[in-house]
Amino acid sequence: MGILDIRHVSLSFGGVTALREVSFSVEPGDLYAIIGPNGAGKTSLLNCISGFYRPDRGEIMYEGTELTKLRPDRIAKMGIARTFQNVELFSNMNVIDNMLLGRHNFFSGGFLRNGFLGYLAQEETEHRRKVEEVIDFLEMEQWRNHLVANLPYGVQKRVELGRALAQEPKLLLLDEPMTGMNVEETEDIARFVLDVHEELGTPIIMIEHDMGVVMDISKRVCVLNFGERIAEGTPREVQGNPEVQKAYLGDEYEASMEKERDI
Amino acid sequence: MREDTIPHMFLGKVKKYGDRVALREKDFGVWQEISWNEYCRHVRHFCLGMVEMGLSKDDHVSIFGENEPEWLYADLATQSVGAVAVGVYPTNPAQEAKYVIGHSESIFVVCDDQEQVDKVLEVRDELPLLKRIIVTDMKGLRRYTDPMIISFEAVEEIGRKVEEKDPDKYYRIVDELRPENVAIMVYTSGTTGPPKGAMLSHYNVMQFLPSQSQVLPQYDTDEIVSYLPLCHVAERMMSVFLPLYSGATVNFAESVDTVNRDMAEIFPTFFLAVPRIWEKMMAGIIIKMKDATWLKRKAYEFSLPIGEEISEKRLNGEPIPLSLRIKHGLCYLLLFRHLKKELGLLRARVALSGAAPIAPEVLQFFHSLGVGVVEGWGMTEETGIGTCNRPGDIKLGTVGKPIPGVQAKIAEDGEILLKCEHVFVGYWKDPEATARTVQDGWLYTGDVGELDDEGRLKITDRKKEIIITSGGKNIAPSEIENHLKCSPYINEAIVIGDGRKYLTALIQIEYDNVAKWAQERGLAYTTFKSLSQNPDVYEMIKSEVNKANRDFAQVETVKKFRLLEKELDHDDDELTATLKLRRKTVYKRFGDIIEEMYGKA
Repeated sequence: MGILDIRHVSLSFGGVTALREVSFSVEPGDLYAIIGPNGAGKTSLLNCISGFYRPDRGEIMYEGTELTKLRPDRIAKMGIARTFQNVELFSNMNVIDNMLLGRHNFFSGGFLRNGFLGYLAQEETEHRRKVEEVIDFLEMEQWRNHLVANLPYGVQKRVELGRALAQEPKLLLLDEPMTGMNVEETEDIARFVLDVHEELGTPIIMIEHDMGVVMDISKRVCVLNFGERIAEGTPREVQGNPEVQKAYLGDEYEASMEKERDI
Repeated sequence: MREDTIPHMFLGKVKKYGDRVALREKDFGVWQEISWNEYCRHVRHFCLGMVEMGLSKDDHVSIFGENEPEWLYADLATQSVGAVAVGVYPTNPAQEAKYVIGHSESIFVVCDDQEQVDKVLEVRDELPLLKRIIVTDMKGLRRYTDPMIISFEAVEEIGRKVEEKDPDKYYRIVDELRPENVAIMVYTSGTTGPPKGAMLSHYNVMQFLPSQSQVLPQYDTDEIVSYLPLCHVAERMMSVFLPLYSGATVNFAESVDTVNRDMAEIFPTFFLAVPRIWEKMMAGIIIKMKDATWLKRKAYEFSLPIGEEISEKRLNGEPIPLSLRIKHGLCYLLLFRHLKKELGLLRARVALSGAAPIAPEVLQFFHSLGVGVVEGWGMTEETGIGTCNRPGDIKLGTVGKPIPGVQAKIAEDGEILLKCEHVFVGYWKDPEATARTVQDGWLYTGDVGELDDEGRLKITDRKKEIIITSGGKNIAPSEIENHLKCSPYINEAIVIGDGRKYLTALIQIEYDNVAKWAQERGLAYTTFKSLSQNPDVYEMIKSEVNKANRDFAQVETVKKFRLLEKELDHDDDELTATLKLRRKTVYKRFGDIIEEMYGKA
């Protein structure tokens, strides 16, 4: 049994089936990639784990707790942090404040207690220190006091990763962390994801389109197509799987394969 | 107590200052203080650790990383053993790093992070003498199981254990040192040919420090920000050796990208920058003022001439009328104070420009703002600056008088010769080059220049770079180039004309500023290349070139120029690690464009 077990999860919106009987499990120390064509149900699956969607059937077990009935904030409190496909930051706040929000779950006082000046200053110092560690980790010193809205997209994605890390997650969900980035930014983020995985030992579930990155850094890969799991294994195994090739490259590829066989 | 070697001087200061702050490093957003005692403890432990791992006298240790306290610990620890510390530019690509590490025969290399380690591992097979790679920041390296890699902390831990058993061992090792031992080796940047390792002894450094301090005194209340590469002799003096002599506090910027902000938090009182940085600061202010609100712009336009007037009077030693003083005081409150604050130079008591020639216009600009930048000149081969303008005795366009203990004379062919106690020991493994450089005790600097009646030195150019046109005129290209670079839109200029009828130039635009200029005019561009090909940009640069041409005689004007379609880069071998031009590479790479300007397409 892994840290996260997904068992026979199905989800549909009206008549459209987003996920059908999907099962897999994530081990401690895993860097687990979910790939698949557009509309395969990858983000839906992530949303099920973090509690934004409630699956129609099946269960999601996290350290012995069933998640499907819990609210997203409860799930976040249990140590599951995530980033979003389209950056979801407070764009008129600076980097530090956005990251401090990631510490929200650790603040002991509520809204009112926090409102009293100085009352929780000591606590805030500790949180700030933690945020600074993340800033150091992600090498973001030069943007510390910048408004998020003024930062390049690649940096915004890094801020979002930083906010997730500020939650000191026990499980990290990344939804397409490299989308919309140039080669250099992609390399940077790939290195940070690896650093998180190796330095902090956090298990990671990552959705990603950039095959090069997926094949390079992930330990195991799960392939979804039309809401169904069609393959799972090491990057090499998955790459060699004919069904995956078909899903990704379509009939054209199959035709060319046949042609080759004819020759 | 002895004071004749660098480690002895260091131990003297540790004794004197004890728990006072010696270094500051910004870590996790907070300035962390390191006292002299802690500084010493790190040096001792690291030194003993390296000795335990096999370092002995006359070995070499390369230090390959950005500025951080560990750089200094490694530097002093190596010297304490009588071994030689060699700096490698952190921007060096693997092959250039290999040259320095291999040529110096280093047995250890101290790297600051994974990036440098990867470069060393890439060329390790060609470095047979290298025994260990010591790393300060192990982030991303945990999965490397290479037995050669060891963390900085682990080495200190080994040393700590040694010291527990034998507390006096470090001091015994240091006492073996003789002043004539080589302390550091500084690789020259190598604008022509491969870099050469200039060996500097403890004696050299110990002679140099007091004589520089007589001209530019540094006190134990001074604050320094260390951000230029430490492998360069100027920065090494500034943030390692001078503070050991004076007791000043050295602050390490958080990262290369945050230097500006960190400066504004520290407000250094003793500040060294290279011309490129002064030029950038100046361009920054000019551009900012173009963008500013009407009121601010007017304030700037009103204040700057007053600043110019007062600084000119000061430089010439003329009396300053009261009315001007009052006006200037107003301008200071209105504008100059804020600009100085913005630049982080509010408290700068000594501001120095060195390592390359700077255009007098740039200096003038800063003098007008009230930052009295003084220009110094020197060579790696004589341990730092040789001549310098003194604060209060400045003549723009000259590099000042020789510092105490230095004699200067001009050879028949115009080359500047120096004689002093801190002329280097020689080039490592290159006695021929040493013999060529030092003859009869005179150091042949390779720079051409003249001495005026007051004994001030004026540098014309590097001897090798003087252009002789086909008309027989001797022209100093760097003077014209620096003049061009005063424009906020020109980042780099290369003047060509050796053996030609007239001068031409290759110009690299200052991307950020030109991009802004283009945006304001709604010009479409996508990349550096498309921007530099834009005909409007060409016309704009043309007017900047014409402006610069006005200050030169007819033969010295740039007749044609082309904009470079790519930025010159250290990685592409066009610049040295200190961002100096490698002319030969540039001439070769852009040969077609150059020929085209002379009508031979």
